Amino acid sequence: MNTLIAPGDKLDIADKENVVIGPGVYCDPRTQEIRPVNAGFEVIGSTKKNLSIRVDHNSKRYIPAVGDLVVGLITGSFSDSYRVSLASFSSPVTLSYMAFPNASKKNRPSLKVGDLVYARVCKADKELEAEIECVDSTTGKDAGFGLLDGGMVADVSLAFSRELTFNNEYPLLTLLAKNAQFEIAIGINGKVWIKCDDVKSTLACYRSINDCQSHPSAEHKFIISQHFKAVTNSVQ
Amino acid sequence: MISAQTGVLDQVDGSCKLQCGETTVICSVTGPIEPKARQELPSQLALEVVVRPCKGVPNTREKLLEDQIRGVVTPVLAKYLYPRQLCQICFQILESGEPEDEYNVKELNSCINAAYLALIDSGVALQSSFSSVCVSVLGSNNEILVNPTQEQLIKSDSTHILALEVGSGGKKIQNVLLIESNGDFTEEIMFNVLSRAEKACVEVALELRKAVEDKIKRDFIWKQ
Amino acid sequence: MAKEVEIPAAESKFVIECLRQNLRLDSRKFDEFRSVEIELGDDYGDVTVTMGKTKVHCRISCTITQPYEDRPFEGLFFISTETSPMAGPQFENGNNTGEDEVLCSRIIEKAVRRSGALDVEGLCIVAGSKCWAVRADVHFLNCDGGFIDASCIAVMVGLLHFKKPDVSVSGEQVTIHPVDEREPVPLGVLHVPICVSFSFFNPEDAEENIKGESNSEICIIDATLKEELLRDGTLTVTLNKNREVVQVSKAGGLPMDALTLMECCHKAYKITEAITDQINNVLKADATARNQYAAILSSENARES
Repeated sequence: MNTLIAPGDKLDIADKENVVIGPGVYCDPRTQEIRPVNAGFEVIGSTKKNLSIRVDHNSKRYIPAVGDLVVGLITGSFSDSYRVSLASFSSPVTLSYMAFPNASKKNRPSLKVGDLVYARVCKADKELEAEIECVDSTTGKDAGFGLLDGGMVADVSLAFSRELTFNNEYPLLTLLAKNAQFEIAIGINGKVWIKCDDVKSTLACYRSINDCQSHPSAEHKFIISQHFKAVTNSVQ
Repeated sequence: MISAQTGVLDQVDGSCKLQCGETTVICSVTGPIEPKARQELPSQLALEVVVRPCKGVPNTREKLLEDQIRGVVTPVLAKYLYPRQLCQICFQILESGEPEDEYNVKELNSCINAAYLALIDSGVALQSSFSSVCVSVLGSNNEILVNPTQEQLIKSDSTHILALEVGSGGKKIQNVLLIESNGDFTEEIMFNVLSRAEKACVEVALELRKAVEDKIKRDFIWKQ
Repeated sequence: MAKEVEIPAAESKFVIECLRQNLRLDSRKFDEFRSVEIELGDDYGDVTVTMGKTKVHCRISCTITQPYEDRPFEGLFFISTETSPMAGPQFENGNNTGEDEVLCSRIIEKAVRRSGALDVEGLCIVAGSKCWAVRADVHFLNCDGGFIDASCIAVMVGLLHFKKPDVSVSGEQVTIHPVDEREPVPLGVLHVPICVSFSFFNPEDAEENIKGESNSEICIIDATLKEELLRDGTLTVTLNKNREVVQVSKAGGLPMDALTLMECCHKAYKITEAITDQINNVLKADATARNQYAAILSSENARES
């Protein structure tokens, strides 16, 4: 188990050279001191070249970072871009009309206000509005990004959505797959889009994802089976 | 003495219900979110502090509390991480635990501690931890009482609040964030109060840390 | 104007589709009220009501003041329902001019104050010069729909639980007896109104509903925040245990026919009955807990009732 750490604690690193700082760690611009700014588990990774340090913590409010895969909601459209919301009440981000596959001046994307998109954060300076893109800029293909049609969005905590994305071993999706066929798009911004063939299975998946984030993984199998039972037994 | 629970509200990003003796407050934190144009600061995080009283409408007393809390929280926030953003901190006094028309010490003390836990819960970056303690001086031999009850408070000659920035898991005092004193006291009493309150602050910091540990365990419950 | 919670089009479509198949997001039935949790504080008149994720706190307080000149025999009673960003970032501090906020405070006002739930004449101390002013401060802590229903319960439990200091009058001389000197006295509550809110959804297009051929609108009780944001119409029925309709409030929205209204009132009555019983049980349990020495101190023989 990694050590618990809170803001103001000392980080477990000896020299300050060649340290790559990650989320939850802050370098004071005046004193150049490195310190934790969030409460969570201290994670230190090392490669040959340097040391990386971050604080693994949970929160609800998403802050854009380059490379993150997110589920966004179109809230407005302008002459050359969409305004997209990644979390209610947060500052909106931009999705340029040029950030789609086969984009050209004449070829405008056809998203409407209220649509959901799966996208990647491509610019995230804290002073500027963040930008997202629906295209893999190295190949120019859609790479799975774009409109998410139908389905339902479950709101989960940020740490849980990271676990679902990065830990391929995490059993929740495998367990869900035993009960239903589904399409899923996990946004690091705490939004999980899920779609099954029928409404009932989607609903069961939605309830399962919501419930599982507050229970130990040993209970997940039971929770999922309960939810699927509940929807199949419901009266028409 | 202090019992606290984080994550009690789900519409906001961070929350904490804290009970300290007879006083109960609930605190919510939302942020960083998009500010209104008049709140926006070009290079740092703007702070909106709202204190709502248990009984009646908010007035100058609550404005003073808001101002004092802002003074404690502002230096601790890593506010340059979130330029042009807003952080809303709301307090609701559920039980005042003191005569409201004369005192605000117990409310202020509980609010500061609740704010720390709610900020931790919300994930807004903090440069360090902080805790606060309320002290009253009583009687002819100047007895110093930490976190006095309502009765002791009314009888006391002077009341003091001390909020400190504590580092290294409560082992190191880094900075004084607030000293607020009221009543009759001498310089000597003041120094006694400070040394006693400093120890108490560290104890409170350790207590709050337990609540933080609980929160982290609950956050990662799905990992077990 | 504060921003609203944003809901994707897919989500609203999904919620309606679920309702069409007789399902709700939180696995409740259409006419199922969330279970109500009532918590009483140490002081009299300190209540927290939790319904699902919705949380409302109510605090009753009283002061002595002068009655209105045109009503010298009546005390004063205020209900304050102010929202703060604590309930959710969509609420602005000190700005209660939003349509929903105004409607919410009006309905509670009508349900409790104007229905005469509190006996204001009992608050009079000296006619024309001194009376009690009772104040109910409703604090919205967490918003997940059903604010009206929850606050109404909170205010009523608060009024039933609250006790004001005893006063004695001799001539013009008024003495207030502190709580530790003389047992405080409860307020005169004449009936217990309970609000039940219904939400309507129109699964067909708008025209279908105006013509009113199929009557396919869906009606659910005690909507959550998501359901409230997506609904096409709402109706609040206030009843008490004596089968008296205190108010029926329907401010616009989907049109509905008379039979549906009757049906709603019947459903609401069942809920009113259950909640009133629950309130009485909670208050009784609290009274016994507070009064654990009463049996020892009492010199009377227990009477069979």
